[in-house]
Amino acid sequence: MGVLSRAIRNISRRKIRALLVIIALGFCMAIMVSIPAGVTANQESTLALTQNLGSVITQTEATINQTLTQIECTLAPSFEGFGFAPPSSGSSGNMAQPPIGGNFTPSRPFGGGNIPGQFGGGQFGSRGTTPMNESLYYDISSIEGVVAVVPTLTVSQGTNQTMEMFGRSFTRLVVDYVIEGVPLTSVIDEYPILPTNITAGRNLQAGDSGVVLISANNSAFFGVGVGDTIEILGQTFLVVGIHGSTGVEDQLTLYMNLSDAQSLTGNVGYITGLTVFAESSAVVSDVASAISELHPELTVVTGQQRLQQLEAMRRNYETALANAESTLAQTQGTAVQVTIVAVAAASLIVLFVMLYTVRERTREIGTLKAIGFSDWTVMSQFMLEGVLLSLVASVVGIAVASFAAPTLSGLLLPTVTQQVNMGRGVTAATASTGTASVTLTPELVLMALGGAALLGALGSLYPAWRAARTRPAEAMRYE
Amino acid sequence: MNEAVLKLENLSKTYTLGKRNVQALSNVNLQVNKGEFVAIMGPSGSGKTTLLNILGCLDKPTAGLVLLDGVDVTSLPEKELYKIRGSKIGFVFQTFNLLPYLNARENVELPMESLKVPKDERKRRAGELLAMVGLSGREEHRPQRLSAGEQQRVAIARALANNPALILADEPTGNLDAKNKYEIVKLLANLNINQGTTIIMVTHDSNVASQAERLLFLNDGKITREKQGLHLVKKKLMCPYCGGKIQAEDTMCPSCRKKLKYQGEEDGD
Ligand SMILES: Nc1ncnc2c1ncn2[C@@H]1O[C@H](COP(=O)(O)OP(=O)(O)OP(=O)(O)O)[C@@H](O)[C@H]1O
Ligand SMILES: [Mg+2]
Repeated sequence: MGVLSRAIRNISRRKIRALLVIIALGFCMAIMVSIPAGVTANQESTLALTQNLGSVITQTEATINQTLTQIECTLAPSFEGFGFAPPSSGSSGNMAQPPIGGNFTPSRPFGGGNIPGQFGGGQFGSRGTTPMNESLYYDISSIEGVVAVVPTLTVSQGTNQTMEMFGRSFTRLVVDYVIEGVPLTSVIDEYPILPTNITAGRNLQAGDSGVVLISANNSAFFGVGVGDTIEILGQTFLVVGIHGSTGVEDQLTLYMNLSDAQSLTGNVGYITGLTVFAESSAVVSDVASAISELHPELTVVTGQQRLQQLEAMRRNYETALANAESTLAQTQGTAVQVTIVAVAAASLIVLFVMLYTVRERTREIGTLKAIGFSDWTVMSQFMLEGVLLSLVASVVGIAVASFAAPTLSGLLLPTVTQQVNMGRGVTAATASTGTASVTLTPELVLMALGGAALLGALGSLYPAWRAARTRPAEAMRYE
Repeated sequence: MNEAVLKLENLSKTYTLGKRNVQALSNVNLQVNKGEFVAIMGPSGSGKTTLLNILGCLDKPTAGLVLLDGVDVTSLPEKELYKIRGSKIGFVFQTFNLLPYLNARENVELPMESLKVPKDERKRRAGELLAMVGLSGREEHRPQRLSAGEQQRVAIARALANNPALILADEPTGNLDAKNKYEIVKLLANLNINQGTTIIMVTHDSNVASQAERLLFLNDGKITREKQGLHLVKKKLMCPYCGGKIQAEDTMCPSCRKKLKYQGEEDGD
């Protein structure tokens, strides 16, 4: 019978009381364990947000700066049906030669190419979907200051999926891949039209025909690699290279010669967009207005405008970031408060329970002292009881926290994601990281046990001191 | 052989209650020799418990000396006193004061623990002591499963654990019925006869007190009278009435057939 086994027996002697105390203490400990995890989760989601948005902005800005002389011309969808329809426009959705467009908007690596999907959605830099008669726009190249006009054709390929909803059926196109036709002339050597990041094989070259440059995604979809042949809409192409996509929007894009793409998709003479290169950034806006004057039906977006749009986006992003940071600061403040309250509550519970125990056992303490126990032994007896109680409670607390940490921290802490609203992509990306979960790492268990022991010792210090100070004559008193 | 185990010189104790002083003990002089069985009697409030507390180093006198085994304990600091309490004194309380969550054996082991007696030795000695007080086979029983008399036996075994020089018992029979009272007094008396244990016992009960060999009467904090108890003659195995030979277990003198009432049984007086 040592001090320890007596402490254990004393705790287990009053089962209901011990249980209640352990539950209350355990709850405090669960909060103490969950809160740091919650703060970490919020920090991580803020960091992810910062890095994600920060790198997107930087990348986009760099790309736009490289292409400041570039002007994107597309036909606004409202002009469809004004005589620009391609030969195949009369036919319906899922035939061998589908209509141009679809509902996916791929883009090329320049312009919006590096912007992940969340900033896409046709905001800027994206390719048109409305077919344009190529020959109607030859005059653009004669505008003063224009050095090159690059026509492109972008066609999405996919499968129509029909879904039943509320008793009605809806059809939507699930895009499998996107064909992008680019004129393979010397223009591609002079202007950034093709992807620059080639991960395998080679890039397309001037004069190439019957060959494709595919994305990693395409490679997986078709099950082909460099040197293999690929069948697209019944025609065979040789895969010469694989490009590493840097953004969401060209992940599905395979590049080929414009004329190959036009005949393959039944769009001979038709394109979906024009990229106009101006002599210098100084004349870009003049060129853009000249294009608009010449072809009022076109949507004309300059690099400058894209920069302005980016600037708006950056401000938006900075607001979001500031929100996230203030939430984080708030989170940390709240975390400190909640932790202090939990620690105080736990210490007070230990304090009162141990005070009560000491009071209740005055006679026993007097007896122990009368039969030769030292103050120190009596004191350590009660300290140990307090420590044991908190240790058991901390095990309960860790167990509770291991599954209830997200709920606890969610209840007690503001979460970063609730405060950030950057548009669909961003919110979606961070929504899941705002809640904490506790993994039972050995360090965490050790820290929780150590903390609990410390807290138990602190809480029972005064009661144990009181016990040690009990006069042994109390053992003689009989009431 | 008059070896003093305890010597009190001019012992006084004054309690201060607010502005009032209560003189609980005044100028008590007493010597208790090794192997004596002393009973202290006196009305309520006469200072019996106060005296016992001071003898047991549970309290300090206001004035005077307490020599325990030749050592003046009044001048010792608390960190020495607990050792004295543990090794030189065995306490028996009116309310037994066993630890409810320990079994009989573990209760008896407690005082040995503070003297750092090895576990095996503790267990062996506790078993021996429990057998001596007539509780062999009950070692693993917790106090709530023992009768009051049995609990007090465990307490006596516990008091004997460290072979103390002195057993102090404050109303050891105060919470017991007639039968158990008798049993416990007999146990103490036999310990005194057989083991030579020095015992100082406080009691209200004259039958119980008469078992001792010296009876001290305390009144208003002073020892006012001292008388020989019947125990002395019993120790000498001689009838107090006719001087004939008796046995320790006898309840009646075999020669004069007078009842030996000091055995603590119901008596006619
Ligand atoms: N802690 C104390 N503080 C103040 N006065 C006390 C204290 N303890 C005892 N007294 C007083 O000292 C006197 C002697 O008390 P004590 O307890 O020694 O008497 P007692 O002979 O043991 O009585 P009883 O037979 O009722 O147990 C009493 O007047 C009592 O009120
Ligand atoms: Mg008393």
